[in-house]
Amino acid sequence: MQTPNACTQSSESEEAKLLRNLNLNLNSSSPSPSSRLWRPAAQRNLRNQWMKLVSHKQKWVSASSSGRSHATSLVNAHLSERYVPSMDLGVLKDMPNIRQKTCMKLAQQQELYRNDLLASYKDMVGVVSHMVNDSRSMRCYMKAGSPLIKFSSYSEDKNDLGDGGCIPVFTFWSIPYHEKLAEELVQMFASELILKRLLVLEFLSVSCEEQQIYTLSWSDEIYSGEYEDLISCSLYCEKTCQPIPPQINGREKSESPFTVQSNIWKDEKVLQVYLTTWFVEVNIDTHRVEDIFSIVGEEMHVTLS
Amino acid sequence: MEMLVKKYQQKYSKVREEMDRWDELQSRLLRQFRNASSIIERLEVLQDLQNYGALKSIVGIREAILGKQMSSLEVILQSLKDTMQEFNGIVMSFEKILRDGKHLANGASRPLTENQKQQRVGIQPSIADCMDGLEFIYKRHHAEYHLKLSTVSSLMSKKPPPSASDFGALQQLLTDQPNIAKEEVQSIFDIIFAGELC
Repeated sequence: MQTPNACTQSSESEEAKLLRNLNLNLNSSSPSPSSRLWRPAAQRNLRNQWMKLVSHKQKWVSASSSGRSHATSLVNAHLSERYVPSMDLGVLKDMPNIRQKTCMKLAQQQELYRNDLLASYKDMVGVVSHMVNDSRSMRCYMKAGSPLIKFSSYSEDKNDLGDGGCIPVFTFWSIPYHEKLAEELVQMFASELILKRLLVLEFLSVSCEEQQIYTLSWSDEIYSGEYEDLISCSLYCEKTCQPIPPQINGREKSESPFTVQSNIWKDEKVLQVYLTTWFVEVNIDTHRVEDIFSIVGEEMHVTLS
Repeated sequence: MEMLVKKYQQKYSKVREEMDRWDELQSRLLRQFRNASSIIERLEVLQDLQNYGALKSIVGIREAILGKQMSSLEVILQSLKDTMQEFNGIVMSFEKILRDGKHLANGASRPLTENQKQQRVGIQPSIADCMDGLEFIYKRHHAEYHLKLSTVSSLMSKKPPPSASDFGALQQLLTDQPNIAKEEVQSIFDIIFAGELC
């Protein structure tokens, strides 16, 4: 599978994992005493992580839709500002400085919407970073030395892979298989996030010629600490020292280093395409997401929705 | 005779229920129509890669966005068809009520004479009033259903594809429901239930 973190991580033992995964059903006939203890702990942990993924998904939906409405308001205020000079003001036209004041007000509004949009983007980054973290915390390791807590989410022993020897945790699936599904899920949101990052940059650089405050390029941090967050999402490329470029899932990467044309007079149609792109969430296959939650729920005998 | 009028009034109560459902469907239809037309209007802009600004350098972006929009459009069009199917169900139900209504007066062991049909007791409606009203309601909704059907299918027509101003006009047509005059329908109900108003 294509992952966005190919840049930061070498494609280590992906195949080895899969091979191990294939062996699992065959030697699971007689569970060892330790796996009898391991399974309930692993089940608890898996349920937890999947529940968290479901709630992250819901948070994504709300952050994305408020981001959309802020972006729409921003675009509307911007377009109104553009039309002020040609607007027919009727009886108001004799008021002193009416046009300037209107423009100023609209510019102030845009500033507010920009901040709101930025906040929504930040929320989305947070969501994806949690998703990535939880999808990588599905393993359950033996803990030595404590009589009460026998398992933990950190490996203390190099030989303990935390997968219970790849036995099925609930009915059929081993830990690596759960991880594979979670990765597929998270990958959709991560690639959508980086696409939205480009849109955020574009929206933030929407302004009228007079107030060219924003000159953002792809390699700029949008808010302080963004890069740290993107690194935790595996969306930052150490080699090029900038976020990985956006791409459509299942399509090849865009090769050229990404440049954002800032401060260009953006066409109304372009803005419409941007808003549509934000809205359709092209990298998130909603049916597949529902699918994953429902088959995983079935496997774990819980309802995830 | 009074019993017969009571029976007709029961039919009219059923008609009213169906008309309430019609109103619900009407607002659903308008919502679906608006959603569909806004996607169709957008498609032209989305087809031109020149409109993608900074997104242009992403391989496959246009196809992906168009694909997503097309599949949501398909879903909306399908639900539009389902809604139309439900409208049709109501029209058929009106037709059945009308048939049953005719049967009440004519199908009995002793069919009513023309005089009896016209006869009016106090403010009670005549049997003819009852039958005419049912016929009126059926015919108007039948006509409106066909108007809606052709409006909805012109939304989907590709040759020529509807323009933005067409959408406005079509939506207005759906909203207005020109075949169903609210006051006329209300006046029928006023006549049928005149006795109960006092």
